[in-house]
Parts: sequence; structure tokens; C-alpha cells
Amino acid sequence: MSATLTIAKRELRANFDSPVAYVVICLSLIALGFTFFYYEGGFWQANRASFEMLFVYLPRGLSWVVIPVLTMRLIAEERRAGTLEMLITLPVKDHQVVLGKFLGTWAVVLGLIASTLLFPVLMFKFWHLGTLDWGPIFAGYIGLVFYSAAAVSLGLLVSSLTESQIIAFFVTWLLLLALHISGMFMNRVDDPSLQQILAFISFDARLVSFSRGLVTTRDLLYFASIAAMSLMASFRALERRKWS
Amino acid sequence: MATDVMIEAKGLSKLYGPFRALDKVSFQVKRGEVVGFLGPNGAGKSTTMRILTCFISATGGTAKVHGVDVFDDPLEVRRKIGYLPQRAPLYGEMTVWDYLQFTSDMRGLDPSTFKSRMKRIVEVCGLAKVLGKDIRQLSHGYRQRVGLGQALVHDPPILILDEPTSDLDPNEKAEVIRYIQEIGKDRTVLLSTHNLAEVEAACARAIIVSKGRVVADGPLSDIRAKSGTVRYLVTIHEQKLYEGSEAYRAGSTRRPPSSDEVSEALGALPGVQRVRELPTDDKAHAFELSGALGGDLREAIFQLVVQKGWLLLEMRRESQTLEDVFKALTRGDERADRGRPLLAEDDDAAAVGGAAAGAAALASAADEDEDEDEDEDEDEADEGDDDAAEENGGDDESDGDDENDDDGDDDDADDDAKGKKDGR
Repeated sequence: MSATLTIAKRELRANFDSPVAYVVICLSLIALGFTFFYYEGGFWQANRASFEMLFVYLPRGLSWVVIPVLTMRLIAEERRAGTLEMLITLPVKDHQVVLGKFLGTWAVVLGLIASTLLFPVLMFKFWHLGTLDWGPIFAGYIGLVFYSAAAVSLGLLVSSLTESQIIAFFVTWLLLLALHISGMFMNRVDDPSLQQILAFISFDARLVSFSRGLVTTRDLLYFASIAAMSLMASFRALERRKWS
Repeated sequence: MATDVMIEAKGLSKLYGPFRALDKVSFQVKRGEVVGFLGPNGAGKSTTMRILTCFISATGGTAKVHGVDVFDDPLEVRRKIGYLPQRAPLYGEMTVWDYLQFTSDMRGLDPSTFKSRMKRIVEVCGLAKVLGKDIRQLSHGYRQRVGLGQALVHDPPILILDEPTSDLDPNEKAEVIRYIQEIGKDRTVLLSTHNLAEVEAACARAIIVSKGRVVADGPLSDIRAKSGTVRYLVTIHEQKLYEGSEAYRAGSTRRPPSSDEVSEALGALPGVQRVRELPTDDKAHAFELSGALGGDLREAIFQLVVQKGWLLLEMRRESQTLEDVFKALTRGDERADRGRPLLAEDDDAAAVGGAAAGAAALASAADEDEDEDEDEDEDEADEGDDDAAEENGGDDESDGDDENDDDGDDDDADDDAKGKKDGR
């Protein structure tokens, strides 16, 4: 097994060796259930077989709670506890450390995302609540996969820049909050170029496209670029120790 | 390529911003050597080890491990070494077995090799009882053992251990040193520590660093001999005389000696460089004398005691300990930390000269061979020294300004000793 996968496996296990992952996943699913079915009338009042709101609430929940919690300790805690020195002095390259940590945490988030598949499967396969158009569902999940890669890598980047988990949590939270709600401010600014920027960076605006069944290369590339750039920046941040 | 030099540092320098952590550090460690890497906090030990393990990069100079340059091929270097950083940072949520398996996987060992290695590691490091326990539940001593275990999992030819006994209780320290002795039988080991007794127990050679420079490098016996002095410990009964002595029978000496009397008499012996009183109980005067390395003062001391009719309780001659040399070589660090004037100017020649310069520094510093407590007491005892000097008959010409008297001449040391004596 390569060093990257060994690190990813250790990260995955580290999450499930403590109660954090279980608590976060359970609470997230409960909160998502309440929000999806009851918030502002929820699924029932919409009176149509649509999961569009799931793809709005789920990424927000991930960005504002789950991902900051999971990513805050990734490198910050290792640096504080000194385990980073032990890890990096094993025969491993810095980029393998970054990739391994990313993959391990992304796998947890993907597991959580996958568990939300229970909603449409149970409702429309087992309880036969009606006919569901599965196209937008698959498109929505493709969007979530790419979005989660971007969000996790941003959290990893922030964690690689500090030794404090608390700082890592709040900075990640603020960053992801800004990226989600930037679209809301689009109509409140007059400058057209600023409007374009806000629309361009908005996570919500792009995720809505996916939830409506529209998978565009532009949106996929946007999330993939954020993930790639954040991982490269994390690698640089980790490498910085050599010369500081 | 097979080589006898397993670790080689040449002119290693490291700057943290304006702070020079390492200043042209050079040394070699040969195959099969267990070398103590000594120095006070902040001397550059960990920085050197981190460079050797490719965790950080040097600002200048080169380092090779097993013939491989740490900058050119860090992965190959890491494969050749087993490294235990300070305080053995481990993943607390993993069990000991899982952690060792993780390091084995990271090092690319196959499961059967790992299992066969584990038998030896468990035996050497004493891990049999804790293999299934979470690391966070282990005592510090056991964590150090696990740290040693992970450093050995790939059976490396070179071990680099950074303060493996810090924060351990005396029993745990003894255990870890025993492991290192066991491990060091067939490996090259670079052992960083503050604890000189550990170095004396486990190493045949030491490198002493101070303020980022190598100030001594060689076999322990050579380092001990660097001070050029021998220490004598003499204990005289404070309340009794030897009743069989001629002086006693003649009635010329019927009063037990005072500490001043003993001190003056010992100090007057030819070849005695310095006399210092040691703390004892109420029944004895204990003194430490310094004499030249080649001479032997025991005969003269014995004759003096017989002549005076004193009751000799103990007399011992011993070489300068490694600890004495260490303190003399590195005292400047501690004084600088406390904002005191340094013993000697740090000229560039001393930096470049390495061990030779260290010996020169030692020659000046070793003369004032007070222990650290006394050193710290100097300032606090300034006024006391003055008072003591007056009580001693005013033969002390010290002006009591010890802040500026740290150049270590013998008179000052004697004054301090007298001050202590009178303070008792």
C-alpha cells in the first residue's frame, strides 16, 4: 500500500476511533431530516417529488459544521502535538502527507453524503411515494462530490496554516460561509464586475444547477480547481517548515 | 557504497530569522558508535537532529547519513534511520500494535517481515503487556518505549534519539538507557540528552554543543581530561580530634578545628589550586580541592591531617566529571539566558575552531569550577560575601560586585566559598 493510502487509512480510522465522526454524522442526518421535511413547510408542502432542497441544505450543513470539525485538526493538531515531525521523518513525501490526509477526510464526508441517499431510496423505492426523476438526484450527488472535495481541501489548507484547531475551525467556517452566501449579495451591489465575481465564487449558485440536473464542465472545473489549488497551497505550507 | 562514516555534518548552519541556531557545526559518527549529543536547552541539538532526519533544511553546510546527502535524497536518508523525536509524539488514539503496524506500512515492510520484527521489538523494548492498549492510556515511559519500537521497526543501521529520557522518572530512565545499550550493540546511535549520567552509561564518545557550536568532541575520557584538573574530597570531623596523635598528647591541639582553619591549611598546601567547602551535617567539615591533573595531593593532605591531629573521615581523589566539563563549557548559555555578562567573548575563531576552540574556552571556564547552584548564588550572596569577608578578618579584597566579577578567577571562587562557610 502506498504511503498516501496508508495515511488516508489512518485518517479515516482516526475519525472513527473517536466518537466525533459518529456524533457528527448522526446529528447531521437528524438535522438534515428535520430541515428537509419540516423547515418552511419542507418536502410535504412542496407537493412534488423534488429533492432540490436536499442539495441546498446538505452542503450548508457540511460547510458550517461537519467539514470545519473534521478538517480543523488535520495538520494543526499534528503540528501542535509534534506528531507531524514523527510522520514526516518517515520515508514519505510532503505531497503524500497532504494527499493522504485529504483523501482520508474526504472519504468520511463522502460517506456522510452517501448515507443521505437513504432519503430518496427509502421514500421512492421502498415506500413508493410516487415517481421520482432520478436524473437531478444523480446530478446533485455529482455536484456534492465535487463540492465536498473543494470544501475539504480548503479546510485542510487552513489547518496547515495554523497550530490552533480553534482558529482553523473558525477560519474554515467563515471562508465556507462566505463562499456559500456570496450569491445572496449579488443583487445588493451595483458594480456589474463585482456581481459577476460574487456569482462566480458562489457555491450555492453552482450547486443549484446540479440539483436541477444540470452538470456543466464549468462548475465541475470550478470545484476541482479549488481543490487542486488548496492542496498545492497546503503542500507549500507544509514545506515551509523546512525554511522557516 | 559501504562507508565507515554513518553520519557526517560539515559546517551546518541554521538561521531562524535573525537567530543563529546552528553555527558551522561539523562532526562525524562512525559505524557502531553510540555518541552522546550534549548541550543545554537551545544549544542546537534538536535542530541538528531535525536536519539530519530531513525534517528541516540547513541554511548552510552539508550533512550526509549513510553516505547519502540529506538534501539530495531525503527519502533514502529516512529509510536508513530510526528517529525518536523529543517527548515521543505518537497518535494517542491508536493501539501500540496498530501504531507500529502503521509505521511498518509507511516504511513499506510486508506483513510477515513486520511480524518477525515485532518479536524482537517487543522483547527489546518490553512492550508485551501493552500491545493492545491505546497509546493515550500509557505512561510516559511506555510511550518512550513505543517510540523506540517504531524507530526500530525497519531494523535501521542508524538511530537518532532526541532526549529519549526527558520527563521520565528515574526507574523509567534507567530502563530506557538499558534499551539503548541493548540497541546500540549493533547500530550507530546518536543520543541527545541533558542527562550526563546517561551519556556516561550508554556512550563512549560525546559531542557537546553550546550556542549552536560544537565545543567538545571526543571520547568521554578525553573530554573529562579537558579541564586539566583533578578533584579531591576531604572530610574532617568537626567535633573530635584524633586522640592518638602526638599533637593531642603534647597538649598543643585540644580544640576541634573550625572550617576556616581547615580551609586555610588545605589552601596553603603546595599544588592546591582552589578550596571550596561543601555542605555537610554538623559533625564534619567537607572540602573540595582542585589540583593539577598530573599531581597527587593525597599524601600532602594526609600529612597535614596527621600533623594537625585532625580526625580524617574521608579522602577521595576523582577526575573531573563530565558534568563539570559540561557546565564549564556551556555556562555562557545559562548566563546569557539570565541576562548576565558572558564568561568569554564569542569570537568567530571559537566558532570555527569547533572542539579546539571549546577546549580553549574550557581552559578559561574550568578554573571557576563552582557548581551551578553556587553560580546562581553569586548574585544573591553579593552582600553576604562582603559581610563574610569582613568576618574573616578582612583579607578578602573583593568589592562584592559579583555582577562584574564573573571572569572566574580563583580568588573570587574562594571568596564565595568563604561566604558560604560563614553562612552555615
